[in-house]
Amino acid sequence: MATWTDQRVRPAPRAVVPPPSPRPQPARSQPRTVLGLIALGALAVVALWWLDTPSVSGFGDWLTNAGRITGLLAGYAVVILLALMARIPAMERGIGTDRLARWHSMGGRYTVSLVVAHALLITWGYAVTAHTNVASQTATLLTSYPDVLMATVAGGLFVLVGAVSARAARARLRYETWYHLHFYTYLAVALAFSHQFAVGADFMTNLPARLLWSALYAGVAALLVWHRFVTPVRQALRHRLRVAAVHREAPGVVSVHITGRHLDELAAEPGQFFRWRFLTRDLWWSSNPYSLSAPASARLLRITVKDLGDHSAALARLAPGTRVFAEGPYGAFTAARRSRPKVLLLGGGVGITPMRALFETLPAGPGDLTLVYRASRQADVVLRRELDAIAARRGAQLHYLLGSRAKLGYDPLDARRLRALVPDLAAHDVYLCGPDAMTEAAERSLRAAGVPRSRIHAESFQL
Amino acid sequence: MRRAALALVATVVGLVLLLGFKTHSATSTASPPAAVSAPTGSGSSGSGSSRSGSTSSPSGTGSGQSGGTAGQSGTAAGIKVTGSSVGTQYGPVQVQVTVANKKITAVTVLRYPTSTGRDQQINSYAIPVLKSETLSAQNANIDMVSGATYTSLGYIKSLQSALDQAGL
Amino acid sequence: MSGVAAVPGLLPTGRLPTRHVEHVMGTVVSFDLRDEVAPTVLTDAVEWLHRVDRTFSTYRSDSQISRLDRGELTAADCDADVRSVLALGSALAKASHGYFTVRPAGRLDPSGVVKGWAIERASDILRAGGSANHAVNGGGDIQLAGEAAPGQPWRVGIAHPHQPGELVTVVSGRDIAVATSGTAERGDHIVNPVTGRPATELASITLVGRDLTTVDAYATAAAAMGNAAREWVLELDGIAAFAVPAAGAPWWSADWAAVGSVPVAA
Repeated sequence: MATWTDQRVRPAPRAVVPPPSPRPQPARSQPRTVLGLIALGALAVVALWWLDTPSVSGFGDWLTNAGRITGLLAGYAVVILLALMARIPAMERGIGTDRLARWHSMGGRYTVSLVVAHALLITWGYAVTAHTNVASQTATLLTSYPDVLMATVAGGLFVLVGAVSARAARARLRYETWYHLHFYTYLAVALAFSHQFAVGADFMTNLPARLLWSALYAGVAALLVWHRFVTPVRQALRHRLRVAAVHREAPGVVSVHITGRHLDELAAEPGQFFRWRFLTRDLWWSSNPYSLSAPASARLLRITVKDLGDHSAALARLAPGTRVFAEGPYGAFTAARRSRPKVLLLGGGVGITPMRALFETLPAGPGDLTLVYRASRQADVVLRRELDAIAARRGAQLHYLLGSRAKLGYDPLDARRLRALVPDLAAHDVYLCGPDAMTEAAERSLRAAGVPRSRIHAESFQL
Repeated sequence: MRRAALALVATVVGLVLLLGFKTHSATSTASPPAAVSAPTGSGSSGSGSSRSGSTSSPSGTGSGQSGGTAGQSGTAAGIKVTGSSVGTQYGPVQVQVTVANKKITAVTVLRYPTSTGRDQQINSYAIPVLKSETLSAQNANIDMVSGATYTSLGYIKSLQSALDQAGL
Repeated sequence: MSGVAAVPGLLPTGRLPTRHVEHVMGTVVSFDLRDEVAPTVLTDAVEWLHRVDRTFSTYRSDSQISRLDRGELTAADCDADVRSVLALGSALAKASHGYFTVRPAGRLDPSGVVKGWAIERASDILRAGGSANHAVNGGGDIQLAGEAAPGQPWRVGIAHPHQPGELVTVVSGRDIAVATSGTAERGDHIVNPVTGRPATELASITLVGRDLTTVDAYATAAAAMGNAAREWVLELDGIAAFAVPAAGAPWWSADWAAVGSVPVAA
């Protein structure tokens, strides 16, 4: 992390002290590296087909081999998709939960298409080679080929999960319903696995290939189990999180203070979030992501939540002492992304919470740090006093841009106004967090104002 | 939507390219078959692409194919010629013959379907029979064999391609 | 074993024969053409076999034979080929005293005659296209035309049913048809229609004649007859026979020596 030595920095009294001991930087995967590795793996998979196939001739053969290639890629893609969602800390910190989720969802659509293409091509190819019709070939495949029936069921499950994950369907489903349906993918993977070896031409007689493939699946399964199931339990036992206090910050806005032991071991960085599960009768079944609204200390974590729905409203009624189960920390929206002395934090709506934590701790000299808070109404602004105090203490700029675009008649975040608001905008690193509409518009303005894409760091809560 | 279209096009193009490469290396040159003399072990392979519905025009050496499992490798005891791996509905079948002085001295079935009990049953008696029939058929200088029928299409085609490559 | 062209070698013309293997009619049909002909000739012969498959296969519910059996069609509705095959079947049944039948167990199943007939027709197509020297081998039932090479008759080895990998005799000739039937066959057992039980007395019997249709059907009938075939084949004109019983020494018809080798007493 860069250290800005500037004589003009005034030492300031801190209400919340950052972790005293300098920790070694936690591991962070680079997005490009991970994508490169995934691509290499895909090439290796295609190479397996290449080496196994001396020649292809005739229409039926073309179809069958196209089916084999799509099948191999689908089997590989499935395990990659699982790995992306395994909550591996290095990937969560380096790539970011939201970006991993986007990769997973785009990759998921592609994978479901591969699975369907594979099934159709294989069936058609076999039918052509055997000079039968597709219907009877399908029946033969389902009834007399080992494990194909199970794999077909698995394929159906994949299509189902894909269908309910489509945006149109997800909008109509409760998050929990979609979430639990999505778990059927585990069942689908289990059902489909064996047919790869039982009838897959590239595996049937190739023991090294089977071993490698099994190792790949087993490795990802182990990662999943460890990071999604074992680690949270270990953390729960180690840190014993409990609600310490609930403060009303403003009407409809509460901060929940959570205490526990050895919290510094979590290495939660400002800008990150946890998935919180409050163990009360009403709330234990749902897990929600909230960012830390203040830097984590050895004994305290704080989240600030606006009353937007059932869950957030219920938090206001939490009794101190309630046990809390938290998975995390997740997110790449941290100081590690920054590359320039000047930083602009642009937040709106619920996005102000991680900004608040970054605003306090992001290393920057006076005049180098700016926070722009976009809100529709004065009443929507949260943690105002804290933000003002931090700005004063650090010599940072703080701007409140209030009013909806309809009322104002213009967009306060357009390129011209942003440039006027933030001198030297193009030389800044920009952290962006808020409702999707706002962040998309803001990103366009920033690009138009000359901020390169590599210096716009956005986090979306559409997980 | 645009990304989806791009992914679709890229996938189809990729598949066509991959399959096209393999098809090209299969239809090998029309040069007259060279005698299979020196055991060069060059790893070049003829085609013998035989699937149902395709005519295998026999050829000796063909255009070099990288990494293909069909090919020739030489040893002092004779040249091993490997037929194409022929996919059948029951699994891949591949046959390798050892040729010395234009005669087959040994036959190895490299790959055969083993997935079901039925396959294993057939293999346990069929393969040894197929192998020794190949040898004795050659020794009696006959053109073909009539007798019990096995559903050994894969064997036939693969052996055929091996024989074609060996120029026999 | 069917279709293994072992060592034909280079023809004196310096060419290699054209070989083709086709999976059709539930078996493997191999073509071995020793003359140069237009590729369409071979394609036509192959397409013919598929046509036969589509019309006669009892495994396809939409074939004319299946529909005829179910009563959805009458014989008059079917192709002329179907009627000829059924007529052939009746004639062969009479000549074999019912041991060959197109109605085993009451179902309509002319497969015993269709295969040989189809292969013989395929050979006719090749001849019409200019191929005077060729072999068409459908799972062990072979129609041969001309000779293997100028001055060299076709040589067909007959697999020994008791000693796998060995040959029990070798048939050689020009323009002949060879069919072998017996318990060594995989697939449907040959059933003796008189006793209704599988015919097990003959491990294999090989018949050699001019046209495969007749030879194939009679070989099946002979296998069904078992030991009684010995007398029956003597009645058959122009057909030589060689049989290996399940127990006992091989026997052969008087005219066998003209077409095939005779085993040395061993």
